[in-house]
Amino acid sequence: MTALLRYQAALLIRSQRWLPPFLLYAAFLAVGVQSGQPVLDSLGYASAALLPVAAWLVRICVTNEPPAARACVAAATGPGRAHLAALLTALGAAAALGTAATLVVTLISDPATNGHRTHVPPLESAAAGVLAALACALLGSAVGALTNPPLLRSPGRAVPAMLLAALLSVVLAGSPAQAAVSGLVTGSQSGRVPVPLLPLAAAAVLATAAFAVACALTGRRSP
Amino acid sequence: MQRDLLLARVGRRYGVRGPWVLRGVDLAITPGTLIRVEGANGTGKSTLLRLLAGLDAPTEGRITGRPRTAYVPERFPAALPFTAVGYLTHLGTIHGLSRRTAARAAEDWLERFGAGPYARTPMAQLSKGSSQKVAVAQALLAEPELLVLDEAWTGLDVAARAELERAVAERTAAGGAVVFVDHDPRRLAGAPDATYTVAEGTLNRRTEKESSPAGPHAVVTVQGAPGGQLPPDAGRMLTSADETTPGTYRLTVPASHSDVLLRALLTARPPWHVASVSTSGSAPDPESRS
Repeated sequence: MTALLRYQAALLIRSQRWLPPFLLYAAFLAVGVQSGQPVLDSLGYASAALLPVAAWLVRICVTNEPPAARACVAAATGPGRAHLAALLTALGAAAALGTAATLVVTLISDPATNGHRTHVPPLESAAAGVLAALACALLGSAVGALTNPPLLRSPGRAVPAMLLAALLSVVLAGSPAQAAVSGLVTGSQSGRVPVPLLPLAAAAVLATAAFAVACALTGRRSP
Repeated sequence: MQRDLLLARVGRRYGVRGPWVLRGVDLAITPGTLIRVEGANGTGKSTLLRLLAGLDAPTEGRITGRPRTAYVPERFPAALPFTAVGYLTHLGTIHGLSRRTAARAAEDWLERFGAGPYARTPMAQLSKGSSQKVAVAQALLAEPELLVLDEAWTGLDVAARAELERAVAERTAAGGAVVFVDHDPRRLAGAPDATYTVAEGTLNRRTEKESSPAGPHAVVTVQGAPGGQLPPDAGRMLTSADETTPGTYRLTVPASHSDVLLRALLTARPPWHVASVSTSGSAPDPESRS
């Protein structure tokens, strides 16, 4: 599995297809986060914006190889494992991006509540931000896994379905991502730093299930 | 490859209500065998090879005994952001080699197929034939137990085609199984242990003798101790063996298998003395088959 992950990571980095989602995320943050704003509010925004980016990274990783190259790898390891490596690489990239964004946002934001009344500990804020970002990365990867090949193969269906599902995952009540983000936003009003472990666990369960479905279908629905 | 790869009543169709491409396929792939699959275009040869390589799961039936497998596709459009040797090193480690071994094997196999000068070339700049050499090298470098070749010879130059035939002979001699599809009837002529025909969604073993065992052959004259027995692994690949004088044999093998035969004879205990090696354009009289 290590060799597969290294291959997929090299493929992602060298293909430079990570650049558009990376720039989109940077633009999201440039528009929505300014230095001196309340830290938890900004972290909530950064986490929510990560979800569609994670789904997009999954789309890039699972469509990065020509079918012939994919077949060569799948023969060596089995199609399910090859697909899992692509999904995990995308998840890892999204998690790294979210962690980096959390650090930057924490450093440039004001460690205070809305209206700058109460002090908010920055270290605990950063921890809460990382947990929320991971929850959003997991849920975004789950969305990407279920709305791309092998489940949805034509780009005409896959891309709109992915965008819609990503949007709904951020705003619908009951979604782990929405719970993690709203925890940060309400924390920014009350001054109590949330610990979004429950949303993170729920997102991990959903991502595991989505990855399992996608990997199990890989050998059945191709080419 | 320790045991057979077994297909039991295997069927495959694409989509829930799609027509059956293959159905009721029973097949055993035994270690060390060379198997040819024939059939007209669109009969399901590639589907069968995808099932054998483990790329597709069967819609019905079971496949058991999966060995370490490698697959060579017919076309390898190498739009990958690696150099040839970089890609092969990655694939070698995926096949289970260490990075160092994989890098060395990558260089060796590119050299063998005459693509050594392109080892550091980005794959996007490789010609069609050179890309195909990379595809063949990725399958061979980890010495797989099962090698599946879907028209792998397409696009290779003459020297590389002959080299791939020799590599196939080496693989089977080392105990690996090889399954191949090729439209050239002279491809590895006389060498396959079994030939199967795919027609109308089923697989049939071709039982009649090949009408024209055409293809280049090598004639090897060897001397051993009087009454000495030929090594058993050499005997299996021979087209014919004539004992001209006691202890002296005139052996005929498909040209692709000459290296493997010589290796078997020279490493036998006691070793055989190779008196002469020559090549002939066609096979000798099949009556003298040993």
